[in-house]
Amino acid sequence: MLPEILISNFWLLLQGAERTLELSLATAFFSSATGLAAALLRTFGRWPFRIAVDVYVYVVRGVPLLLLLFFMYYGLPYSGIDVAPIPGGILVMSIYFGAFMSEVFRAAVEALPRAQWDAARSLGMRLPLILGIVVLPQAVRLSAPAFINTCILLIKSTSLVSIIGLSELTMVGRQIVERTFAPFQILLGVALIYFVICYSLSRLGRYAEQRMRHAH
Amino acid sequence: MRTDDATVAPMVEFRGVSKWFGTTQVLRDISLSVAPSEVVVVIGPSGSGKTTLLRCVSLLEEYEAGEITVAGEMIGYRIAANGERVRRSEREIAAARAKIGFVFQSFNLFPHMTVLRNVAVGPIRVNKMPREKAEAVARDLIGRVGLADKVDAHPVSLSGGQQQRVAIARALAMQPKLMLFDEVTSALDPELVDEVLGVMQQLARDGMTMIVVTHEMQFAHDVADRVIFMDHGAIVEEGDPATLLANPRSERLRAFMRRHIQGWARNLPQNPMTIERNP
Ligand SMILES: Nc1ncnc2c1ncn2[C@@H]1O[C@H](COP(=O)(O)OP(=O)(O)OP(=O)(O)O)[C@@H](O)[C@H]1O
Ligand SMILES: [Mg+2]
Repeated sequence: MLPEILISNFWLLLQGAERTLELSLATAFFSSATGLAAALLRTFGRWPFRIAVDVYVYVVRGVPLLLLLFFMYYGLPYSGIDVAPIPGGILVMSIYFGAFMSEVFRAAVEALPRAQWDAARSLGMRLPLILGIVVLPQAVRLSAPAFINTCILLIKSTSLVSIIGLSELTMVGRQIVERTFAPFQILLGVALIYFVICYSLSRLGRYAEQRMRHAH
Repeated sequence: MRTDDATVAPMVEFRGVSKWFGTTQVLRDISLSVAPSEVVVVIGPSGSGKTTLLRCVSLLEEYEAGEITVAGEMIGYRIAANGERVRRSEREIAAARAKIGFVFQSFNLFPHMTVLRNVAVGPIRVNKMPREKAEAVARDLIGRVGLADKVDAHPVSLSGGQQQRVAIARALAMQPKLMLFDEVTSALDPELVDEVLGVMQQLARDGMTMIVVTHEMQFAHDVADRVIFMDHGAIVEEGDPATLLANPRSERLRAFMRRHIQGWARNLPQNPMTIERNP
C-alpha cells in the first residue's frame, strides 16, 4: 500500500521545510553572533559585562522557549508593541539559543591551553590580535561538535514557532492532517524530513570532528 | 662570549625581586645581573622557582617587589614621581615582550599554522614587517635550525625536537635582545635532545644573551658562562660552571648534584653538540 496522501502532499511539506530551514539559518546566524559576543564579554569583559552575561545565560536557560514565544506573541501586544511573527520568532529564538551558543564558545575558548596565550604574548601580541589569529581560529574548531549539536536542537525547536502561527514544517503538517485525516502518514513524513535534515548535520559534525582530530 | 668589562651595561638585571603566589613566596629577593652576550644557566630542584623567574622577565607573571630591567628598561612597571610602582600600559608591556624571546618546555607552536606561518606571524603582525620580507627572514631561520624542508608542514607532523627548533626560530624571528629557555629539552626523547642543544650552542656562539633553565649538566658545563643554583625561590650559589659543578660549596647544591650528576657522568656523549642536519 502506497502512502498516497503523503505523496500527494509532499510538495506542500517541502515548502514548509523550506520555511523551517530559513528560520533555522537565520536563527543559527544571529544566535552565533550573540553567543560569540556574550562569550567574549563573559571571558574578557569587565565585571558589569560579565555579570550581565551571566544573568542573560542563566535566565534564558531557566525558561522554556515556548514561554518566551508566548511573551513575544501575546505579552508584547498588550504593551502596545506588535512584532510580526517571522522576525519575532527569529528574534526570540536567537536570544534563546544565543545563551546556549555563548556557553559553546566560552567552553572552547577556555579549553584552549594557557600555553597558547603564553606563546602569543611572548611574541608581543595583544588581546585583539591574540583573539583574532590564535584563540578564535582554534576555538572555532574546538567548538564545532557542540556547535552542530546546538544547531540540531535549534532546527527541531523551530517547530515551536508553529504555535505563533508560522507555517513552517510542523504547522504545514498539522494543517494537512486536519484536511486529510491521515495523521499517521503525514506526521511520519514530517518526522522523516526533520530526521533527514538533522541526520545530515550530525554526519557533517562527525566529519568535522574527524578532520579536526587529524589536523591537530 | 662573556664580557667581563664592568663598564658594559647589563642586558638583564634583577634587583631584589620577590614574587608570591597568594601567600607562598616563590621568588626571594633575587638579584642577578646578566651581561650582553652572556649565557647564564639556571639549575635547581623542581619547584625552586626557575620557571617563575623566567616568566617574570617577560611579565608572563607579575612580580610584587624589586625590579627587573632589560636593556635598562624596567619590565612591567615604572616608578612614578612619588616613588610608587605603576604598571605600564599593555602596549608598553607587549612592546617589551616582543624583544625578549621565550622558548617553552612544551614548544607551544600554533597548531593551526604552518611552520613558515608560525615563524613569520610575529614579524608580520607585531613588527608590521612586509609579508615577503618576513617570510624570507623566516625561511632563512628555519633553514638555520635545519628544517628547510618543513616550511609548509603543520607542527603536528613534526617530532618534538623539530617542533622545538621551530619554536626557537619563531622567537629569533622577532630579533630579540635576549633569549629565555625554560627546560626546552625536558619534554624530548633522549635522542632528540642534542639537535636542540646544538642550535642553542650555535646561538650562544653568535653572541646572543641567554638565560637557560636546564637539567643538561653537559650543556651547562660546555656553554654557560655562569651557572646559578636556585632552591626555594632564592639563588643559593653561583659561579663559573667548571668550579660550581665540580666543587659545590653548599650542602643543598651537593645534594642536588648527587641526584643529577650520575646521569650526567654516565651519559657523557662523544660529541654532544653536533647539530643533526636534515638530509
Ligand atoms: N600559577 C601558579 N599558582 C600557584 N603556585 C604556582 C604557580 N606556578 C608555580 N607555582 C608554585 O611556585 C613554585 C615555583 O614554581 P616553578 O614552576 O617556578 O618551579 P620550577 O623551578 O620551574 O620547577 P620545575 O623544575 O618543576 O619546572 C612552586 O612551588 C609552584 O608550585
Ligand atoms: Mg619549571
